Amino acid sequence: MLRYIAKRLVYIVFVFFVVSILMFGIYKSVPGDPVAMQLDGKATSMTPEQYQQLYDQTKERLGLDKPVYVQYLVWITDMMQGNFGISSIHRVPVIKLVAEPMKNTILLNVVSLVLVFLITIPLGIATAVRKGSKFDTGVQIGTIVGYSMPSFVIALIAIVIFAVKFPLLPISGVNTAGLTGSSWVMFKDKMYHMALPLIVMTIASLGSITRYVRAAMIEALSMDYIRTARAKGLREKVVIYSHAFRNALIPVVTIITAWFVSIFSGSVVIETIFLWNGMGKILLDSLLKQDFAVVLAMQMFYVILTLAGNLLMDIAYGFVDPRVKLD
Amino acid sequence: MKKILSLLLASCMAFSLVACGGEKQQNLGDGQSTGTNVKNELVIGSTSDLNADMMSGWTNISTNKQIKSLINENGASTVVFTKDGTFQVNPSVTEKLETIENEDGTKTFKVTLVDGLKWSDGSSITAKDYVFAALLTNSPEFGALDADNFSGQDYVGFEEFNAGETKTFKGVNLIDEKTFSFTAKADKFPFYYEITLASASPYPMSVIAPEVEITDDGSGATLSDNFTVELLQKTINDPKTGYRYNPQVTSGPYKFVSFDLSSNQAVLEINENFCGTYDGVKPSIQKLIFKKVTDATQMDELKAGSVGLIAGVSGGTAINSGLDLVDEGVAAYSSYPRAGYGKIIFACNHGPTQFQAVRQAIAYCIDRDEFAKEYSGGFAKVVDGYYGLSQWEYKDNKDAIADKLTHYTLNLEKAEQLLVEDGWTLNKDGKEFVKGTDDVRYKKVDGQLMPLVIEWANTPNNPVSDLISRTLPDSMAQIGMKLNSTTVEFGVLIQNVQQAGGEQKYHMFNLATGFAPQSAVWYYYNKDLKTYGGAYNQAFIADDQLHNIAQEMRAVKSGDNETWSKKWLELEIRWNELVPELPLYSDEYHEFYTPNLKNYTPDGLWSTEKAIVYASMS
Repeated sequence: MLRYIAKRLVYIVFVFFVVSILMFGIYKSVPGDPVAMQLDGKATSMTPEQYQQLYDQTKERLGLDKPVYVQYLVWITDMMQGNFGISSIHRVPVIKLVAEPMKNTILLNVVSLVLVFLITIPLGIATAVRKGSKFDTGVQIGTIVGYSMPSFVIALIAIVIFAVKFPLLPISGVNTAGLTGSSWVMFKDKMYHMALPLIVMTIASLGSITRYVRAAMIEALSMDYIRTARAKGLREKVVIYSHAFRNALIPVVTIITAWFVSIFSGSVVIETIFLWNGMGKILLDSLLKQDFAVVLAMQMFYVILTLAGNLLMDIAYGFVDPRVKLD
Repeated sequence: MKKILSLLLASCMAFSLVACGGEKQQNLGDGQSTGTNVKNELVIGSTSDLNADMMSGWTNISTNKQIKSLINENGASTVVFTKDGTFQVNPSVTEKLETIENEDGTKTFKVTLVDGLKWSDGSSITAKDYVFAALLTNSPEFGALDADNFSGQDYVGFEEFNAGETKTFKGVNLIDEKTFSFTAKADKFPFYYEITLASASPYPMSVIAPEVEITDDGSGATLSDNFTVELLQKTINDPKTGYRYNPQVTSGPYKFVSFDLSSNQAVLEINENFCGTYDGVKPSIQKLIFKKVTDATQMDELKAGSVGLIAGVSGGTAINSGLDLVDEGVAAYSSYPRAGYGKIIFACNHGPTQFQAVRQAIAYCIDRDEFAKEYSGGFAKVVDGYYGLSQWEYKDNKDAIADKLTHYTLNLEKAEQLLVEDGWTLNKDGKEFVKGTDDVRYKKVDGQLMPLVIEWANTPNNPVSDLISRTLPDSMAQIGMKLNSTTVEFGVLIQNVQQAGGEQKYHMFNLATGFAPQSAVWYYYNKDLKTYGGAYNQAFIADDQLHNIAQEMRAVKSGDNETWSKKWLELEIRWNELVPELPLYSDEYHEFYTPNLKNYTPDGLWSTEKAIVYASMS
């Protein structure tokens, strides 16, 4: 096992560097002038000499006056030393820029993830056990509707119902504007603002995972060992939870790992509609404004997360399925 | 297992309910008071982002600019932009402004401050703070913080000081506690906006450089050696206490209270020590809160009371939603013409659009009045020159503008006539163009056949581009022109507009423009394309007459508004003939706000941060 993990870690380092070169090359080949983009509109308030000086300074500050390979070496060396660069648009270190959005994103995603799994796993099991019943059909219809509906539609419907028609929840934001108080008051306020995006994210995710768990459970319940377990006279609960569900967990582990990575990446749609200051919006804005320091740093972070997530997933397979050997 | 799952689920739901329930009560208290203005405070919603930057020199986000203006820049400035659209000495700050013409052609602006100017913490604002601001923002130490450090480029001695060759800024003088002077370079004169060279705002030296000394033996203000990058890193750039993020001592009508990094909301409160605006007004709304809203839900926020003012609303859907709220009695509104317009801009230095007749013909291929109506839902007007309807020059020349400028609108016969007269009479084989048989007109240019194909670059998800696509190509095709559309990201569009690098492919772009209070037409229409083409002269138009008028405007004596206005009209007439740009629509901006907000009168050049100082809550 340890040897396997060591091999995979070496592989992660190798992939990381290959991906870093590819990513850097791709972003450098994106057409457009990041300097002109950053200075757009400034010319009208300064003289041509001032503008040219600013242009040259900005180009130098962004390191764009050097050859691409030098830019890469500087960037990757800084990255390895924990310096993720300066956002060219916000003119602050990338770490400082993404710190608060990352916290907001993790908070929203973790709570949503817990809620989704708490709802979908029991629901998936229940529908699989009652396959073909009215309950199962009802849930199937509901999940298909939820699965098919884009999250922005769910979001707008939720705003109309919970914030406009029945003003129970705030329309947008992370906190009440201008609110001050103790940490507990501020935390409660944040939870209050998080309720609507949380409801939407949870509803939008229910369909797919419920159906996934249901399918895995139906397959597990059709296995010979289930019939054997029942023939042995085991209680139905033991058959379902100890025998069927444990085997159904193998495919579920895959989606849990994918979700683990998604905890750190925001949702552009949810964050834009609810003005939830998270990573999705930051990444999209940075990409559109060619703020490549932010985009590259975050992309590399997600690369590491994905590689580590895959490793964890493989290790988890070993635990949940004795047939899987890691060597 | 089931019990554990049930317990977890129940806990999670209970937690959410507690949070929602508890906060509902909270919102009815604090939340509602902030939004619906039970207290003397106003939540200003903006669709643009805002960030933690509260000091000039770094980012240029519009909401942050408003905040900076409210806490500092519009405060103790020696020269101000007034509601009638002109610059004037600020009598609340400047007791006397002397202009001294020196023998070498330079000009010295000597400012004497009024007595009793105070920072928000009650300490005195002195001439040293103004001189310090000039030294700080032009110093290499400030530049080392990645800040822009060249605002003083117009003044004598800037280059040496900015390069770090000396700690003395020759063109900046500290005379006494109340008096300082700036000396501008000789080549800056004559200059219509001369008064702006006497403009200065202070920074609190006691906060940003407490141990530093400024001395002046008459040869320029000098910073002591302990003015270092390390010092500024601590006093300006510290994420918690630095002036850039937490400016606690300010001079504007409002003082900075907080910025919430998590929600990106800023809170300002009245500065009791504010000296007053140029006409002696002090703010009366106790607290201002800036937060972001989205286009989709901004009116719902106003109705719900979580926002008290939404500025700069455009487009029929949003405006009509706002007007519905006005009809319901839950909102009031102001409207004014935008100081700017949406436009088609031509590359006037290559391809078919280098010919005036082609640009005019394209202008005759579109019904701009209908276009503006369709785009804005009826809340926009069409202008015929480089002006906004709120500019004083336009108001001064309104009749002449209507009389002398061509109002280009759909007229294919005229468009075709212009093309024929300009020589676009051939087909791809060099024979005579036959309407109905040939698709595209050609013209012999430098011995080669040039097709009348216009390459148009536009940006995605842009309703203006969509509308142009629906209207222009068919009209153009009817007279032998072809419009090829390419959709590119905004960064690529800007690169192509500014003709940066490589061969130029595109002849036409659609963009929007906004007018600065100080409109430097002598740069925008300068025929020296090598120097000015791109960021300034975006249309790359090199016309002698336009260039000359623009240069003459620069040289109009400061204060001679009559001559300026006359030259302005000449420029507009020539511009209208040349059509370097084709204005498509000039929005009628709407601002929707709680009916409790009184005396709030913004316009195109008198924006929220200025108008709000004069407003009150009932």
